[in-house]
Amino acid sequence: MNKATSASRRLLTRYSSTCVLSAWLLLSVFPLRSQTAFSSPLKSWSPFQTQDRKITLQVKNEKLGSVLEKIEKQSSFVFVYANDEINPLRKVSITMKEKSLNDALSELLTPLNISYELVNDKIILKPAKPSVPLAGGSSGEEIKKDEPAATARPNEDITIEGRIVDANGRGLAGASVQLTGTNIGTTTNDAGAFSLRIPSERFGNGVLSISSIGYLRQDVSLSGRRTFLVRLESDNKEMNEVVVVGYATQKKISVTGAVDAINKKAIEDRPVTNVLLALQGTSPNLIIQQTNFEPGQGVNLNIRGLGTTGDNTPLIVIDGIPGGDINLLNPTDIESVSILKDAGSAAIYGSRSANGVILVTTKKGRKNQAPVVNYTGIYGMQSPRITYTPVHAWENAYYKNESLVNSGLQPVFTPEQIEQFKTQGDGDWRLANILHDAAQQTHNLSITGGGATNTYMVSLGYLDQKSNFIGPNYGLQRYNLRVNQTTEWGHFKLNTIIGYAKTRIKDHSTVSANLVVDAGRVPLYYNFQDSSGNYLTNAVSAQYNPKGILEKGGYRMLDNNEVFGNFNGEYAITKDLKVRGVFGGTVTNNSTYGRTLEVDFLPSSNYGADKSVSNYNYKGLFTNLQLLAEYTHTFAGVHDVHILVGGANESYKGEENQLVKTQTDALGRPTSTTVIDPNNSYTSNATKPDGNPATTETSLNSLFGRAAYSFRDRYFAEFNYRMDGSSKFASGHRWGGFPSGAVAWRVTEEAFMRPVKDLLGDIKIRASYGILGNQNIAAYRYQTNFSNYQGAYGFNNSAVTGARYVLGNPEITWEKATTFNIGGDLSLLNRKLDVSLDYFDKTTRDILDQRQDIPAIFGVSNLPPYNVAEVQNRGWELRASYTLSGRLLTQTFSVNLSDNLNTLKKLSGGESQEIQQMEEYQIVRKVGQPITVYQGYRTNGFFQTLDDLNKYPRFAGTTVTPGDLKFVDRNHDGVLDQNDKYILGNPFPRYTFGFTYSASIKGFDILLFVQGVGKRDEMIRGEQVEPFHVGYSGTMYTHQTDFWTPTHPNAKRPKLAENGSPSNTNNYRTGSDLFLFNAAYARLKNLQIGYTLPQALTRKARIQKARIYFTGQNLVTLSKLNFLDPEITEFNNDTGFGVGANSGRAYPMPIFTGFGIDITFL
Amino acid sequence: MIIKKIFLSLLLIWALTGCKKLDLAPSDRYTELTFWQVDDNVNNALNNIYNSIYTSNPFFYNEALSDNAYTRLGISAGNVDAISSGSFTVDLNRFSSDWGYYYAGIKSCNIFLGNVDKNTTLPAATRDRMKAEARFIRAWHYFNLMKWWGDVPLLKEDITADQAKTMARTPRADVLKFITDELDGAAAALPTRDQYAAADNGRVTKGAALALKARVLLYEGDAMADVVTLCEQLMNNQSQNGTYSLYGDYGGLFQSSSKYNSEVIFDLEYVLNSRMWGDYIDFAPLSIGARSNNLAPTQELVDSYIMTNGKAISDAGSGYDENNPYVNRDPRLSATVVYDQYVWKNADGSTQKIYIAPGSSPAGQEQNEYKASGQGTATGYYWRKYWDPVSVPTLQFGSNLILIRYAEVLLMYAEAKNSLGQMTSDVWDKTIGALRQRAGFTDAGALGFPGAGADLTAIIRNERRSEFAMEGLRIDDIRRWKTAETVMNGWVHGARYGDPAVDNGYLRAQLRTFDKNKHYLWPVPSSELVKDSKLTQNPNY
Repeated sequence: MNKATSASRRLLTRYSSTCVLSAWLLLSVFPLRSQTAFSSPLKSWSPFQTQDRKITLQVKNEKLGSVLEKIEKQSSFVFVYANDEINPLRKVSITMKEKSLNDALSELLTPLNISYELVNDKIILKPAKPSVPLAGGSSGEEIKKDEPAATARPNEDITIEGRIVDANGRGLAGASVQLTGTNIGTTTNDAGAFSLRIPSERFGNGVLSISSIGYLRQDVSLSGRRTFLVRLESDNKEMNEVVVVGYATQKKISVTGAVDAINKKAIEDRPVTNVLLALQGTSPNLIIQQTNFEPGQGVNLNIRGLGTTGDNTPLIVIDGIPGGDINLLNPTDIESVSILKDAGSAAIYGSRSANGVILVTTKKGRKNQAPVVNYTGIYGMQSPRITYTPVHAWENAYYKNESLVNSGLQPVFTPEQIEQFKTQGDGDWRLANILHDAAQQTHNLSITGGGATNTYMVSLGYLDQKSNFIGPNYGLQRYNLRVNQTTEWGHFKLNTIIGYAKTRIKDHSTVSANLVVDAGRVPLYYNFQDSSGNYLTNAVSAQYNPKGILEKGGYRMLDNNEVFGNFNGEYAITKDLKVRGVFGGTVTNNSTYGRTLEVDFLPSSNYGADKSVSNYNYKGLFTNLQLLAEYTHTFAGVHDVHILVGGANESYKGEENQLVKTQTDALGRPTSTTVIDPNNSYTSNATKPDGNPATTETSLNSLFGRAAYSFRDRYFAEFNYRMDGSSKFASGHRWGGFPSGAVAWRVTEEAFMRPVKDLLGDIKIRASYGILGNQNIAAYRYQTNFSNYQGAYGFNNSAVTGARYVLGNPEITWEKATTFNIGGDLSLLNRKLDVSLDYFDKTTRDILDQRQDIPAIFGVSNLPPYNVAEVQNRGWELRASYTLSGRLLTQTFSVNLSDNLNTLKKLSGGESQEIQQMEEYQIVRKVGQPITVYQGYRTNGFFQTLDDLNKYPRFAGTTVTPGDLKFVDRNHDGVLDQNDKYILGNPFPRYTFGFTYSASIKGFDILLFVQGVGKRDEMIRGEQVEPFHVGYSGTMYTHQTDFWTPTHPNAKRPKLAENGSPSNTNNYRTGSDLFLFNAAYARLKNLQIGYTLPQALTRKARIQKARIYFTGQNLVTLSKLNFLDPEITEFNNDTGFGVGANSGRAYPMPIFTGFGIDITFL
Repeated sequence: MIIKKIFLSLLLIWALTGCKKLDLAPSDRYTELTFWQVDDNVNNALNNIYNSIYTSNPFFYNEALSDNAYTRLGISAGNVDAISSGSFTVDLNRFSSDWGYYYAGIKSCNIFLGNVDKNTTLPAATRDRMKAEARFIRAWHYFNLMKWWGDVPLLKEDITADQAKTMARTPRADVLKFITDELDGAAAALPTRDQYAAADNGRVTKGAALALKARVLLYEGDAMADVVTLCEQLMNNQSQNGTYSLYGDYGGLFQSSSKYNSEVIFDLEYVLNSRMWGDYIDFAPLSIGARSNNLAPTQELVDSYIMTNGKAISDAGSGYDENNPYVNRDPRLSATVVYDQYVWKNADGSTQKIYIAPGSSPAGQEQNEYKASGQGTATGYYWRKYWDPVSVPTLQFGSNLILIRYAEVLLMYAEAKNSLGQMTSDVWDKTIGALRQRAGFTDAGALGFPGAGADLTAIIRNERRSEFAMEGLRIDDIRRWKTAETVMNGWVHGARYGDPAVDNGYLRAQLRTFDKNKHYLWPVPSSELVKDSKLTQNPNY
């Protein structure tokens, strides 16, 4: 039995380099196609089969093991055998030239009394006579030697039997054995054995499909045999992993760049409404932030943080076509997502790759597979996470009096009134009462299958996410349809993907933040409605009643449609050279119908008095044409060469128009007073109110190539180059070249590392260097032009048109990011532990940004972009996963952790800083600091004593009293002024992490996914920080009651004081770290507890798999910032200027809890 | 062989995909080359220059720079509250935004003036008139720049971005000379208001150029004889310079029904649905539908209005009753300011009483009352002037904002004559007498010439304050008279709703400081000093 150990070690499948390359080739042709079987030996040559390799051998007294390796190198096959059956150390001598594989194998193995069988891409070797049991599994069971094909009588079932084992020869219990194209199937017993009755007519040509969770599916031809021994290879192993890279797929072992592949498992069964939210936390340095949590809201997405002061959004490529809207994809349709992070992997996308590339691949069918119908559904409720609570009415009155008295003013509430508030209780005017729990459900149905030369996948998806706002049925519905079909015809192969997505969002007619704030900062003295149901206003919310607006104020209905198509034809000219043509793109048609209704409030004010009706339409056409040629060859058995060249064009045209009418009747129809709103109505050949053209057209021509070389699967080198010409730049500045080079070394393939490899596992070291581009700017910015706009002025009561001057900069060209990456992939402890590490250093030069050094007297505030700024961004990533398989319990731990930190190296010209006042504090772009940082004063406790008041510095002209904040006199000059400001913090997340734990035992499974940010600063202002904020807010919150009083001198916050008082001015009108909060957090993003019904039971109902589960999203949040959601950011994807300060008025985060079901029908 | 195949593939690929042209231009606009050849475009470019004359926001909120008003939430109005408090920094947004605004306007003018003659199809006379309009507006911008900053870079034609980096400030005297010369040139080329067709109502006229020049020289204070001459041209030579007269109803002057009336010399055009002023939503009493009150008249302004008998409230025998302060006052007070118990006329002709004194309202109508905090008035007063009963329901202003009106010509004349020692009963009757009569005074004590022995300077100055409150002129006046150092130091107040022990019960609204060695000029935005090496800062900043 001790032999089993060595056997298992030896049995680790080793691939020849030929195999790797051919597999790569195959997979690049058919992205992610499963490797299908072709066990019937050696038919006529087909471009998609590679077994017709001629074998040439000349060996003398060489070990059988190394001879077999040589054959592996020359074929695309891998030998699988047990050391205790076949002795690889046995010496052999043989000479053959250009023999077919079959002949070669017979010639070599027959004299050694070894039989062989071709299964998939493997050659299984066994002793030519009945053998002893394979390994120490169940004892005494014999595997019979393959019998010759029996002559079966027609219409009579034939019983076949066999055993399914793992790589160590242990029987696999519960593996599924299925005769493809039929419903005939069974599962293996505890010893891994099965027997199956099959119709005789399938006996000769049937194919068994064998699968088991955690193993790669294998197809085995019956070919008239009655007994089978099938070894399933463990899935999830580096050796077998295929990674989608630019324009191709690669075996993971040959990847030289920093590519992170995210499997569909990370996305499955989570109640997420879009793909990006599903990806949050799944990959290190894939940073996803939200500005609010409303249904249909987009997210900020970037890879490795911020590398430019401009747009940091990565390029998104869906099924090979760039530029699709990932938000419209049905998460259930996704097979895999590849994140290309470094120059080595991304440079083939040239001018748009500087921010990284996200490659999304959707699911496909498999060949020779009977239709499989799968249904998944989740239903549950979203509860808004309300993080702050106003204090009780009577408490508020008490605090208000204190604030007034502290400011030298008369209290406004008498003790009797306060007592009355206490008796009568609180009013209902609060945020919680314009929100409610809302249902969310998803349903997905898919059918996959395939024949000998075709595959298909059809999926339907439905998402219904109700809004947490009360009112008439606000929310989002999305309908998805996706068809993916492949046909092979001789040397030709055609893949067609059609996707359709329809999104409908019904939204209220105003701005959510306004509703949230109007509902949230009114003291609890007030109610939304009087006893007759009239909507009220009050001294604090004098203008609007948010409940009235939500219930009666009208709506916006967004109706967005997108059709995605991808037609991919491939022709094999020779077996080494293929050409491929891809035509794809999207047609988008979005519209918004808006209706504002008038709501009157008591005692005064109203909403929607303009009674407007609006119609907005957008149509977009994006087309992508690609032509590629790919050449693959292995020279002398050891030099693998892969060359890809291609050209592409991407063209986009978008057109918008809008019509707005005001003073319409209750149905939105015109009346005698109706007018067309000239400032907001425009046709598609016009300039929009924001000054941009309503029609935009861009085009990009590209040529690209890749040359990859590897030697003995040990050394890898790859070179990518892309040239792009973009219509966004003037002729002469238009074309850019983007080279990258990458090398990798599988250290453990070296002979001297063999002992280490056997002990540890695989170790690969990678490095890449290259230049990537970025052109994320608006079209036409190189052209100076004049655009007309309506309503510029008026003469004699009539509006006249004006012509605005838009300055262009003909000199603009690409941003260039020089990127260095070094990383390693380790597969240790018998591949139970996988670790990846990366370090990167990226410097982006010629960043397109506003010039800060041009004085205002130039007279143009809307300056064109110039190639001015420079940013360095450095960071690291760590990924680790560990699998612990027991007899019953299988557990997986995976963790990812990353950091990135950018530094602004140059702003523009000689300017070294740019400041934007954010109400009280500032955001700054300053050379030497991260791209955008908060700036303000540092506090230093409170003035407590007379001595303090006399001695401690203060701002000129201010009066301070005990309980007021002291600020740090940074330069110790005795006065507080501008020069005492500090950089207070960095609003961009650092140390982002994700942790997943999953376990399964018998039919039960659990998954726990935690995501978070280790370090982030967030400055918040407004009513959430300042009690009775300015005069806009009338209430205090329970999180604000820790304020200074003479008897509570060590409080968190300064003493209460009215707006306009010296204390309030000193404490709350001075931008300081009083407004700074630690927004680090950890969040239980997803928890799933599931149960899979026993197959014995479900089979009777023709169900292959049935899982029911509980799933919860955003269940627990841990953060020091507890009165607002720490995930929210005020910034866009460039942490750029032009945003408002964060006043914490976002739509609250929904907490989802619900149940799901996942059924696969036979 | 392989290389050849690859090369051929490459060529094929290039041929098939490389044919898309990359020279794409927007479909909604003209390039520099073609723009000026189209007549409509030239008109549109000029309209764009008009668009940049001014905006309603500073027009109103500049009142809070003076002792006429207080804004509680300065953040929404360029931080005028910080400027008036005196405790501002040179980084204040208002300085850089104004500086940039005027120079953007100047650039539009310079581009227009430098290119308009590329058009050969418009008649030369039309182009000359258009150039004169642009020159007037450019002079208007320079006047504003000079007013706030003194020496400023004088750009007579368009400059490049790199030239902008080395522009020095031109001495104030040279800027002044440029302004007056340009206005002379514009006046010579512009039609009078009578010569324009009705469709051109709102365009710059000869009268506007003369009146603006008079204002420029009046502000200088050392060319009063020239001011007299200019005013006389407008008062006595109307056949040459345009017919102007006082509009019959002071309150009605600011309403849409009286647009383009005989008193308007130059105004900022309002167009229904297209160019409206949204500011009033923060001025009106809350019961009218306002959002909040963000610009409140001060007690000091209210106190400045004389009694119907012509006496100041502090004068002996004025009849002023501190407990009933709003009776028998200058009728312009109730046309300008809303005070406690004010009877407000609604759009539909009905009325409502505005209760402001704390505790004075009937139940359910408390929203206009003064409170120490909340959305209502911070001083106990709301604004009335420029409210238009027929304005659209969303409290958008309904009329043109008058930038120069004939009443100002009369008061400039009075002031210039007085400073030359030439104030007479005759001059009084034509100027202050006429204005008071139009305002609704009937008492001879108010209408008649008070005699050479009276403090005529103070009376003329106060008359300007009462006549032009909320029209943006007060801050100019206290700066040029150098009285800002007096009136802008100390507390500015609200109505008598406060602690009787403090300031006799008048609410303290804001504590202000004014440094006469510094604050008469605004600081050059500090960010500009860094960008333009030749730019210098004003004293003491």
